[in-house]
Amino acid sequence: MSGKKSSRKTFNAVFYSFAGFLFLYSAYLFLSNIDQLFVTKAAIETREITAVWGEDREVLNQFAGGFWKDPYFWKSLNLTVITTLITTLIAATLGIPTAYALSRYRIPGMSFIETLFSSLIVMPGSVIGICLIVMFNYGPLWKLQNALGFKFAHSIFPGMVIASLVLSFALGLSAWKAAFDSVNPRFEQVARSLGSSRWRAFWTVTFPLAKSGIVAGIILAWTRAMAEFSAVLFFCGTFHELPPSRFSNFTKFMQMDQADWVSVAVWAQVEFGNIEYGFALAFVLVLIGGLSVYVMHRIGAKGFVW
Amino acid sequence: MIEIEKLNGDLGEFHLRDINLTVNKGEYLAILGPTGAGKTVLIEYIVGIFKPDSGMIRIDGEDILQLYTEERNIGYVPQDYALFPNLTVEKNISYGLEARRMEPEQINNLVSEMISRLKIDYIRHRMPLNLSGGEKQRVALGRALATEPRVLLLDEPLSALDENLRNEMARELRRVQRDVNGTFIHVCHNFEEASDVADRIAIMNDGMIVQVGTLKEIMETPKNEFVARFVKTQNVFGGVSDGSSIQIGDTSIAKKHSFKGEVIVAIRPENIMIVEKEEEGPDIFSGVVENIALKPYFTEISINAGIPIVVISKNDHPYSIGDTMKIRVSEEKVVVLEKA
Repeated sequence: MSGKKSSRKTFNAVFYSFAGFLFLYSAYLFLSNIDQLFVTKAAIETREITAVWGEDREVLNQFAGGFWKDPYFWKSLNLTVITTLITTLIAATLGIPTAYALSRYRIPGMSFIETLFSSLIVMPGSVIGICLIVMFNYGPLWKLQNALGFKFAHSIFPGMVIASLVLSFALGLSAWKAAFDSVNPRFEQVARSLGSSRWRAFWTVTFPLAKSGIVAGIILAWTRAMAEFSAVLFFCGTFHELPPSRFSNFTKFMQMDQADWVSVAVWAQVEFGNIEYGFALAFVLVLIGGLSVYVMHRIGAKGFVW
Repeated sequence: MIEIEKLNGDLGEFHLRDINLTVNKGEYLAILGPTGAGKTVLIEYIVGIFKPDSGMIRIDGEDILQLYTEERNIGYVPQDYALFPNLTVEKNISYGLEARRMEPEQINNLVSEMISRLKIDYIRHRMPLNLSGGEKQRVALGRALATEPRVLLLDEPLSALDENLRNEMARELRRVQRDVNGTFIHVCHNFEEASDVADRIAIMNDGMIVQVGTLKEIMETPKNEFVARFVKTQNVFGGVSDGSSIQIGDTSIAKKHSFKGEVIVAIRPENIMIVEKEEEGPDIFSGVVENIALKPYFTEISINAGIPIVVISKNDHPYSIGDTMKIRVSEEKVVVLEKA
């Protein structure tokens, strides 16, 4: 007994030291470079890097200093938030009932389905991206797109939604399934024995008990969609440099034209030599991610224990 | 009245084979058996959680296997009670009434009546998480009984309680059953628990019902060795019979019966009499006291009379370990069973 306790203590000590180190190091990385967020245009121009990229005026005019005044930043944020909200909505609509079915019913091949979705979580985004390209740009789906007159790849809708949906759905599904698994199916059985329909039993007993886990799963799915990078880059590319004529009126109206998916924008800016701007965007992503996880933990902490 | 006919089912780990059982209206039946006997599966088939492969379950003449769980009007109290943790005690009890879309006033009256019947007024507004084992059981009982079910199924309802509370709750269950004149089926693996509550007992083993009867019937005439051992007939031996006596090791017991060859002999400890040392006779055996165990209401004495025999005595007996004791095993109290 005491041996178990002491090994548990050692484990906790190592775990918390490691987690603490990671946290402090990340904080140090950002805080020690926080001045990069406020680099002025003049300061950038005096740097060596401007000589290399000097000819690309359009890009260099976008400086980290005052990035929040830049329409590209807001348009990118708009684009990402709106598409990821749509992604999350689709993921939740498909994922919550699927998770319930996986948790409650004996489905043939269930372990295969679970392994499939679980392995998606650990799959690199680039693999997802290339699979989507192969899936949509060849074969029957390609023919279908040609017949319908629009393309899935290299589009905001539905391209970005599809690219961000895969991993968002996989992660959300595992969270929602865990939420339903944590509710004893006996509650529903008793509710039904008391005369409740399956539907009423779900809404009055299972759903309220799984609610915090479901909401946490929605936040997780949204955060994962926001964090998607390579799948979006592979499947959709960048939109920043495309001429306005390439965008639909709706996209322009929604302030989503000539913008990039935020995490793709981080990469694009670094590629253009705007390390500061990329860093600024990364900082925004860190803030959004951190806040989401904080909210998720707050909600998760309110679950019932039995 | 519940009639179960030729019920068969297979749930992988558990299976039921040819279950035939009738429970009369207003009867308290205990289904008794070891872990894995299939008792809970039988309950779950009646509730409608699973569908059996074949057979029939009728309640008051209606075939309930054609109905969904919610249409069966069966009360169900699972082993862990499964009180809805998101609802107060009052809301738990009113849950089934609300499902039936009754008028709020009528629901209030019925809930109040049930709460006072089970004496749980003081926890009316509490959440299930904050209740003791006994309180949880009362609430689960109230919730199941509020809808006036045709039958109440209790799956090991006392196993989560400590021993003192278990006796008290067993009496409470019996009181409530008489009070509402309900048909109760109570699953348990403990012989004492079944004998505390039930009018009749059905003994299950390996997915089959082995014997059904009153407690007295089962104790006096167990159907086979399994039942004899399960109802704590402590003296169960293998022997060889010639039709008029049975040879167990070096000991011979006189008993006329129809089996010949290898048989099982069962003698309940309470049917063995301790007699004076002077007594002699064909049904008198002499043995050495090997162990004395003091129980709450009696003493259990193990003696070696060629075969190991357990007898019971009042607590003020004069024996100690190593003493010689004489016992009478009356022929009519010896049960002979066919060897399986």
